[in-house]
Amino acid sequence: MDMKLSRRRFLGAAAAGAAASVMPFGSFRAMAASPFAMQASWINDAEFAGYFLGIDKGYYAEEGLDLSYASGGPDVIPESTIITGRADLTLTTPDTTIKAISEQGAPFKIIGTQYQKNPIGIVSLKSNPINKPEDLVGKTLAVPPVNVISVEAMLKLNGIDKADVNIVPYAYDPTPLIKGEIDASLDFTTNVPFTISQQGAEATSFLLYDFGFTIFNDTVVVTEETLKTKRKELVGWLRASRRGWEENFVDPTVWPPKWADSWFKGTGRTIENEIYFNKAQQPLVESPNGIFSLAEDDIEACLTALGQIGINGSRDMFDTTLLEEI
Amino acid sequence: MAGSKQWAVQLRNIAILLLVWEVVGRLDLIADGALPGISEILIGLWNDRSDYPLHVWETLKASGLGFVIGNLLGVVAGVFFVLIPVSLRVFRGLNIAIFALPPIAIAPILSLTLSGLTPRVVLAALGCYFVTMTATVIGLSQSDSRAADLIRVYGGGNWLIMRMVQCRSALPSILSGLRVAAPNAVLGAILAEFGGGGRWGLGAYLLGSLGRAEPERLWGIGVVATLIAGLAYGVFAVMSHRFVGASRAVTMNMSVPEKAGDGSSTPLSSLLAGAMAVLLPFLFWWAFIRLLEVPAMISKTPIGVVEYLFLSPAAQSAQERLIAALWETLPITGIGLLCGLSFAFLLAISSRLFPGFLRAFMPVALVTQTMPLVALTPLLVLLLGRGTSLTLWVTISVTFFPAFVILAQGISMVPRATRELAMAYGASARQELRIITIPASMPYLFAATRLTVPRALLGVMIAEWLATGKGLGNLLNQSRGYMDYGMIWTVAALSVILAVVFYQLVVVVERRVLQRMGMSTAE
Repeated sequence: MDMKLSRRRFLGAAAAGAAASVMPFGSFRAMAASPFAMQASWINDAEFAGYFLGIDKGYYAEEGLDLSYASGGPDVIPESTIITGRADLTLTTPDTTIKAISEQGAPFKIIGTQYQKNPIGIVSLKSNPINKPEDLVGKTLAVPPVNVISVEAMLKLNGIDKADVNIVPYAYDPTPLIKGEIDASLDFTTNVPFTISQQGAEATSFLLYDFGFTIFNDTVVVTEETLKTKRKELVGWLRASRRGWEENFVDPTVWPPKWADSWFKGTGRTIENEIYFNKAQQPLVESPNGIFSLAEDDIEACLTALGQIGINGSRDMFDTTLLEEI
Repeated sequence: MAGSKQWAVQLRNIAILLLVWEVVGRLDLIADGALPGISEILIGLWNDRSDYPLHVWETLKASGLGFVIGNLLGVVAGVFFVLIPVSLRVFRGLNIAIFALPPIAIAPILSLTLSGLTPRVVLAALGCYFVTMTATVIGLSQSDSRAADLIRVYGGGNWLIMRMVQCRSALPSILSGLRVAAPNAVLGAILAEFGGGGRWGLGAYLLGSLGRAEPERLWGIGVVATLIAGLAYGVFAVMSHRFVGASRAVTMNMSVPEKAGDGSSTPLSSLLAGAMAVLLPFLFWWAFIRLLEVPAMISKTPIGVVEYLFLSPAAQSAQERLIAALWETLPITGIGLLCGLSFAFLLAISSRLFPGFLRAFMPVALVTQTMPLVALTPLLVLLLGRGTSLTLWVTISVTFFPAFVILAQGISMVPRATRELAMAYGASARQELRIITIPASMPYLFAATRLTVPRALLGVMIAEWLATGKGLGNLLNQSRGYMDYGMIWTVAALSVILAVVFYQLVVVVERRVLQRMGMSTAE
């Protein structure tokens, strides 16, 4: 056990520089760890703190997993990487995953969810606050094109005509909001308010989740094939990741600084930003039933919300049995 | 003496420009601080100094590798096409298709199907291949036919002509191709880094910095990218400058080129070549998917696209969305292209009248090219808003530079004796331009037009993707978000087909005009 742990640490350190393929000598005698690849949904930030922690502390190694971690980006469609077999498991937005299953027959199963409540919300400045959907009438709202139908659904759920809101594309940059070029933007509420505060303004926000658009985010998705052939590894991954997240949330300010020269090096973001993010996401990730849990009424709420935007999912797209095995 | 004085003027101009920039930036005069002062950018660079080396190294690796591979392929292909003219016709469709591939459409496909550095290298190489191949063919086919005749008279064949005449005369043209290819390679690599999800590279750094509301950082990354591209550009500019002096004809070739189309070709064989030209890109497309064994859900073969667009249950809605998007994209593309070309032509011509201006303007032109569009567009939004003018400016800025380089090159190749002849008969500088320089630069104007068509489309699509939320660019982005692979492939294929059709139109006009003027086509 000790040996595997130190090997994991070794790999973790090496991976900080490049994708390490160097095997330390001892690995021949150690129990062969199964290689397991996960594809994250974005670049390295606090959104993935639980996994970084699990890797650094050797939690995955203890589960017999040789985890390789790939960060994401705008061109990386997470689901595609599990179709091509480049990853065993990925984190997705449930709307794309469920749409792909129902419309293209994609062989996916959702086996857990990182966020019980989707962190996306409407962010605005306190000086020009938008605190509820009704406040959006007559305003300019920047939305990433992919999320437009989610916003339209939220507007509809709150009885607002979408023609009354001027929706423009959003390119992940809060500058137009700070400069007043737009009145509000759709973004991670766990992240952007910090950036705005750094620019000397104060932000306010509300979650789409709290106004009827009740969906998960960073759903843990695998192919049916992987579910069949790698069940043990998947349960191991869930267990190790849950440990990582729990440890991370004991004090969300502790871990981000430790990664300044490894996971977070050169990302272009600051450690203070990651600490803010980590604190802000805690209530969205934690669940009374344990991190990743998929409660029946939450699944139903998620499916109902997606139904509002014409995505017709069903309960059998979720597999909650692995969570029971943790 | 004159040289050092010119340098002093040059330095003074740059100093004035930098000073104005600094003042304007410091006072937040432009779009409320979207343009920071130079000192602010430098301070930012200094603060981030520990981040840059790894990112720069990664970008250098990918773009350098892509540059070498793309240009080697370009030169080899260019030589091959000139030696065996019919091959140029067979490969024409493929060449244009490679050139017209919108990088933003294929980047996600490359990130999926290839791993590690490869998507970046491929995108960088794709940015180089066509430019260099075209420059090689132009250079080789514009060689002095009298020198070739001489070798033939002495019993030399095509190969000897290639070695002794064409290669030498092509060198300046190839070097000017490499000059354009260098920033292309850097931009290609950065675009792939931006989307591809790796940890290192300036593109990855840019992505992480985009949400930070720190224009200093975005400009800093732009400045570093510009430096890399600018250095590469400079190396080839110096080399080109040296070689042009030695290889320019001293007198003018007065012989009329052979009629276009090789005399030996029968209608049947030229029909065959034409059919091959159309089929080859589709064959490569199909082979790419088959060889990489990408699952059918993600990859669409040509047949798959036809099915998606006409036979699938989603066909109706797909067609409607596509037509609506085209209607938004095409008009602005045409206008942007026209503006970019006219601007380049005017500047290239006036660079003959005011040579100092060319040198002063070049750095500015280069900046607009090497500043990654994904970084520049959000900043431009602050300056210009999200309307049509933004799309127009982005389009002009991507079309202008390559057109300008080709035109300036063409104009500098006009033999001095011809110009002096006009001068000797008392022509003014303007008359000389009208009689000699402008007509002589016609092949280059046509080449520039063909070269910029796909870039105009790309510029419009990037602006649509990042700012205006309209047209093909937005459709592509939305389809990516919804895993609508059919639409992703359809948009990519359609934009290539559009570019190819327009290219062909230019070629037809070009052939007629140049034949009447007694010049050869610069394929």
